[in-house]
Amino acid sequence: MFFFKYLWSTVKTSYMDNVCEEQVFSNIFKANSKTVFNYIYYKFGNEEKAHDAVQEAFVKLWENCGKVVPEKAKSYLYTVANNLYLNVIKAEKVRLKHAAPTLEHSNESPEFLMEEKEYKAKLDQALNDLPENQRTTFLLNRIDGKKYAEIAEMEGVSVKAIEKRMHLALKSLREQIDGI
Amino acid sequence: MQENYLAKWLSGELSEEELSEFKKSEAYASYQKLKEVSSTLEAPDFDVDQAFQQLKDERIGNAPKVVALHPFKRFLRVAAAVAVLLTGSYFYVNSLDESVATQLAERSEIVLPDQSEIILNADSRISYSEKKWDEKRNVSLQGEAFFKVAKGKKFTVSTNQGTIAVLGTQFNVEARDNFFEVTCYEGLVSVMFNGNETKLPAGTSFVVIAGQLLESPKPNSVQPSWINNESSFERIPLEFVLDELERQFDIDVKTQNVDKNLLFTGTFSNTDLNMALKSISTPSRMNYQLEGDNVLFYAEKTP
Repeated sequence: MFFFKYLWSTVKTSYMDNVCEEQVFSNIFKANSKTVFNYIYYKFGNEEKAHDAVQEAFVKLWENCGKVVPEKAKSYLYTVANNLYLNVIKAEKVRLKHAAPTLEHSNESPEFLMEEKEYKAKLDQALNDLPENQRTTFLLNRIDGKKYAEIAEMEGVSVKAIEKRMHLALKSLREQIDGI
Repeated sequence: MQENYLAKWLSGELSEEELSEFKKSEAYASYQKLKEVSSTLEAPDFDVDQAFQQLKDERIGNAPKVVALHPFKRFLRVAAAVAVLLTGSYFYVNSLDESVATQLAERSEIVLPDQSEIILNADSRISYSEKKWDEKRNVSLQGEAFFKVAKGKKFTVSTNQGTIAVLGTQFNVEARDNFFEVTCYEGLVSVMFNGNETKLPAGTSFVVIAGQLLESPKPNSVQPSWINNESSFERIPLEFVLDELERQFDIDVKTQNVDKNLLFTGTFSNTDLNMALKSISTPSRMNYQLEGDNVLFYAEKTP
């Protein structure tokens, strides 16, 4: 009985929710490509490389679509993207945009706006001074809204390790900005 | 404050106490500001649709056929496994011996390939190899059965306790725990027991109870009584009589203050339980109580 259940599940994964299924693959792309792009960008600060990483990771996924079950596709993508530039490129400066202040808040005093601008410049600098893994964790959480557990899965480490990176990231960012 | 409290604070996992303690620290305002400003950060633009189009046009469009093979390969693997399994089990099942078993209160008749007949009493089991029957007439038996053997090569019955060999005859074998009995009704039967061969001419029995060879009473019929739905005993300890009762009626027998070694001579019906209970209890001076599938025998004089 168990044997037939196993057979059925094998056949099912082969034909039904298969990554080779174009609809399934395209859904995975739509849900994850932006984060793969950001993930690589946070690490290396190079948009072109990040674009390439997305292409590369999804081509690999497509080529191995028979071997990767949909639930594992996500971590497969990050592993491929990560391995692509392992020890190959040097991190460049990460440039992030700041959301434009909404009009209601623009009646602030010029001094205040000046301070804000300075603060953001300091934050940018501090982010670039962070070790790559702390910066990636921090930005995946702040920009992409990823939970620690999700980041842990992407990076292939424990949730605790991610919390440690986050803690250290916050600590050094604050020290840098406040000039301690 | 717990380990990595800054991370816990950011994800809202601090306890109320910890949170109020953290709010009092002088660094709190800086962290709060950091939290607010960092939430307005944005990554460079990324056009998902354009990237997908590029992927399809430049990369995937070139090699879809290679990919399409994978699921089929897996299907082949599964199919091969199924084929191997089915073939294997076909040969395995084919090589198995034929076997027939009866439950409690059940009987079964088997006709062997050479027209020899076996009648299987309750709670018994035989097995034999149908394929090799022409080479070797051999039947394994647990329990009790009556054999009418067609003339031919040597016919053997193997039991845990002894082996019976004949040429063509009618005989009964009962092989149960601590009980081994062979009765020959026609022809000549040879019994191997503990390495000794005993020849049983028609009308004699060979009885071993708890390893002891007993003086064999002569059957006065042409076939065992159970064929006619009766169980007959001649100087057999009560224990084995009650075991037979349990088998014939699929009931549970218990005793109280009863000497189960007492020898019993008599017959009970295999079809009428009340008659059978009376047939056993009266000559043994016992009373009985029947409740559902349970029977309790107790000595007459029990207060």
